[in-house]
Amino acid sequence: MIPLLAVDLLLMLPALLLLGVVFLLPLLRDAWLSLHASTVVTGLMAVPNGAANWWRLFDDARFRQDAFQTVRFTGVSVALELVLGLGLALLLHRPGRGRALLRALVLLPWALPTTVMALGWRWILNDPHGPLNGLLQAVGLPTFGFLTTPSTTWLAVVVADVWKTTPFVALLLLAGLQSIPVDLVEALQLEGAGRLTILRRLTLPLLAPWIALALLFRIAQSLGVFDLIQVLTGGGPAGSTESLAMYAYRQSLRFLDFGYGATVLMATFLLLLLPGVIWLLLQNRLPRRTA
Amino acid sequence: MPPLPPVPRFLRRLLTVLAAALLLLLLPAAAREASSASAEITVRVLLPAPFHDATTRELPQFHRDHPGVNLELVRGPLDTDAIQDLAIGSLLLGDTPFDIMMMDVSWMPLFTAAGWLSPLEPYLGAGMLAAMEPGARPGNSFDGHLWRMPYSGDTGLLFWRTDLMPLPPRTTDELVRISRDLQRSGRVRWGYLWQGRQYEGLSCVMLEVIHAFGGRWWNPASGRTELDRPSALQAARWLEDLVKEGITPPSVAGFAENEALQQFAAGEAAFLRNWPYAWKVIENGGGPVVGHVGVAPVVVAPGQEAGGTLGTWGFSLLRGSAHPREAAEAIRWLTGPEMQRSLALNEGYAPTWTALYEDEALQKGAPLLAVQRQALAAGPLLRPPTPLYAQLSDVMQRQANAMITGQSDAVSAMSAAQARSDALIRAMTGTPR
Amino acid sequence: MSGLQLQQLSRRCGDRLVLEHLDLAVAPGECLALLGPSGCGKTTTLRLVAGLDPCSGGRILLNGEDITARPAGEREVAMVFQSYALFPHLDVGENLALGLRSRGIPRAERDRRIASVLELLQLTALVRRRPAQLSGGQRQRVALARALLRQPRIVLLDEPMSNLDARLREELRPELRRLLCGGEPPVLYVTHDQQEAMGMADRIAVLQAGRLEQVGGVRELYTDPASRFVADFLGRPAINWLPGRDGTALGLRPEHLRPRPEGGLQARPERREWWGHQQLLWLETPRGTLRMLLPEGAEAGAEGLRVGWRAADELWFDAAGQRLSAEGPWRQGLESGAV
Repeated sequence: MIPLLAVDLLLMLPALLLLGVVFLLPLLRDAWLSLHASTVVTGLMAVPNGAANWWRLFDDARFRQDAFQTVRFTGVSVALELVLGLGLALLLHRPGRGRALLRALVLLPWALPTTVMALGWRWILNDPHGPLNGLLQAVGLPTFGFLTTPSTTWLAVVVADVWKTTPFVALLLLAGLQSIPVDLVEALQLEGAGRLTILRRLTLPLLAPWIALALLFRIAQSLGVFDLIQVLTGGGPAGSTESLAMYAYRQSLRFLDFGYGATVLMATFLLLLLPGVIWLLLQNRLPRRTA
Repeated sequence: MPPLPPVPRFLRRLLTVLAAALLLLLLPAAAREASSASAEITVRVLLPAPFHDATTRELPQFHRDHPGVNLELVRGPLDTDAIQDLAIGSLLLGDTPFDIMMMDVSWMPLFTAAGWLSPLEPYLGAGMLAAMEPGARPGNSFDGHLWRMPYSGDTGLLFWRTDLMPLPPRTTDELVRISRDLQRSGRVRWGYLWQGRQYEGLSCVMLEVIHAFGGRWWNPASGRTELDRPSALQAARWLEDLVKEGITPPSVAGFAENEALQQFAAGEAAFLRNWPYAWKVIENGGGPVVGHVGVAPVVVAPGQEAGGTLGTWGFSLLRGSAHPREAAEAIRWLTGPEMQRSLALNEGYAPTWTALYEDEALQKGAPLLAVQRQALAAGPLLRPPTPLYAQLSDVMQRQANAMITGQSDAVSAMSAAQARSDALIRAMTGTPR
Repeated sequence: MSGLQLQQLSRRCGDRLVLEHLDLAVAPGECLALLGPSGCGKTTTLRLVAGLDPCSGGRILLNGEDITARPAGEREVAMVFQSYALFPHLDVGENLALGLRSRGIPRAERDRRIASVLELLQLTALVRRRPAQLSGGQRQRVALARALLRQPRIVLLDEPMSNLDARLREELRPELRRLLCGGEPPVLYVTHDQQEAMGMADRIAVLQAGRLEQVGGVRELYTDPASRFVADFLGRPAINWLPGRDGTALGLRPEHLRPRPEGGLQARPERREWWGHQQLLWLETPRGTLRMLLPEGAEAGAEGLRVGWRAADELWFDAAGQRLSAEGPWRQGLESGAV
């Protein structure tokens, strides 16, 4: 008879192999590459160069700027998506006519491919021919360079991302809301609790694991943002919307600087670990919470 | 953790419909694939969408002349940066599905340094470029090998309104003065439109303007950039002032070729900087300026030589090709005089063959030909011919765009561009080989 | 008028009439059980009284005051849910405190009341446990405690014991009665379990398909059912039915059948269940299968016996299920069974 542990391991083997091949192997290869020079100058051969790439990274103002921009984008858009998504979920959770249709409509932005919707926003925000500037002109205001003003263009990116991803958050939270037994709400209603009390004392605490899940998904996704920005602004104006993923991509695929690209990617990966750590902390904290 | 909700039903339906549609699209393609596989040699070419469409028109002729060879044109994205990413992505896979790739002149140093291309002279002979206009020859040969055959001889040009002025400006000062007068008199909203978005087109503009003021971006002898020299600063300041003084709209910071072209075609500006294809697009667009567009070499500072950025495309043979002989023959046809004649007539692309410029029949059908030849003769400008060009251009785009958007000024933008370029060259070439 | 009055109470869900013109009164301190099969409208009635669902018609009076339009939170209702509806993220103490807090009861008062109710229900040791860490019976006690905490004007119980095992249910019945019934507020107790209704309630209202079949004392409903449905629904093992003339039916409770030396119906025992204090016989008779309860000690031979009953125990119903008097032409042909 095979010992139980061996059976366990045997059953896990395919998954472990898959994880190893698609996750661990590339990661190790990336870490290895980050300690090498591999550029057109080296004939695309990996030549060991110690920590040179990492020293370059620590000294790279553009990396710092992109890291800041990525985190800023993530923080603001995820926060907005959470607030709006929660509101939307609460709205969709209420009984009423046409709720199914409304749910389907709300999901549309999420179902749209990112590149398509990014192109749409690029047109909407065009200066001066986009409909938004048309609207501004119609009410007698001057047009605004939504995509050409370095100090504010990141907000346009946030708006596009929020527009697209809020439905996802709403859907997740709606599922959470629907998992809350109606009895609980009614029990509190009978005690004379108002809507706000119910939201604060009952709905939100019970929704906490779902909110954490949404945060995990969204933060990890946002920190790796690429396609939306690539299409909407190309990282401009003046590099003000470039994300870390775009920087890593450019280093490797545009500049053929694979060593440094791997370094940027590795640094981005370490940053991506952050939400996982936050998640673990949250998980440990939640059960200890008191009312 | 509660279980995740099931996929909503409507979404499942949507996906089903999409999957079915995809299948329907793929089936005919698969069928075509199967039918064409019969004993023929297939040569695959990756090329940007507009060139794909223009070239496909002539394809039946190729198949008549080359029995046994199936030339398959693969339609890539429209955007130069996007097609470069696609090209590099497919080459990095090692075993590229393409035999021939359409190459922008600015990619050549990088692609040859990466070892992805095969020299063409073993198949086509060494003297291929001799019958071309001198201005169309640079950017195709390096280290004694022919790496690319040019498909067009496009350079940056100045488009001007014949209904607003009798003659185009020659100098930067004239352009500013005419623009200002026209804007003051209310005949036109903007003076000069160009490409200011943070992308490769901005590098083309910068190259032109730096040269227009007597400077240069790249010094091939020292292997360094010269962006902090007075002439380069002057050039940057000229562009900066165009925006500041309202001759160029601030929205130029978001303009690629098409945005600039559309606004000019709508009659909103006196001048446009663009490539030769723009003329046909404007004339065929039916806008208010149809019939009133002239073409001239780009303006230069007084006393300087005119020169537009060389923006030519061409075809290169990829190293992994299984049929290099047939592919080289395909390149010969793709870049030959007949193809270029058709392109000049239908698309307004500038030919590279001298004979075509002297062809009187063609001159009637392609009125830009004389100006195009003049621009090519002026010594078109090659972007820095170094494998590091992609990085240098990226630095330039960021800094120039920062200047245009007012985030920085000409002096700090150009000195930053110089510093970053220096650091980059140091980091890249300082690595042990 | 004190107590709870339901007048012509109706509830419509789309096209479906869930509750139809219900008239019912519960006196102060009285425990009225709403009994019926699932979907009969008993829980609907409870929810209408609680204010959790809106009425489609009729009125709800509490101590003479019309509370039909009053929001749930202002009706001062104590309700025990079938699921207990304990807040899973809060411990026992917090579960009890949450309602009081949302009613703005000061902390000192809150603590005092919680402490006393915890003591009453012997929950003091469990005060820091979360619902997931409690047994079913403990959860039910917490739910009760929450209902007792407030000084309600009505007490509503929705199948409060259906999640407990039979033994526990039996044990809890008197405790539940002691704690909830006999005070000032009227008690409405929803159950589908007749034994529970009989054990708990002063009176029982039997509902079927949104209509009130009969309301009355426990004994009255059993011995004098107004309809065939009530006769059928109450009593385990179920009542025997013998077809009478013209679509009428004779109901005979199993405990009313007696073995007889002669007369009555010829019967052959098919199956028997021995229950300790009595046994249940399935008898094959010319009129169909009959269930008979035999007291411990009484014997029925395996080969056959004769069974009869007292005329006073006969329950007659017409074709529509309405009760008929014990005298009438419908008795012809079945008299032979009578004692």
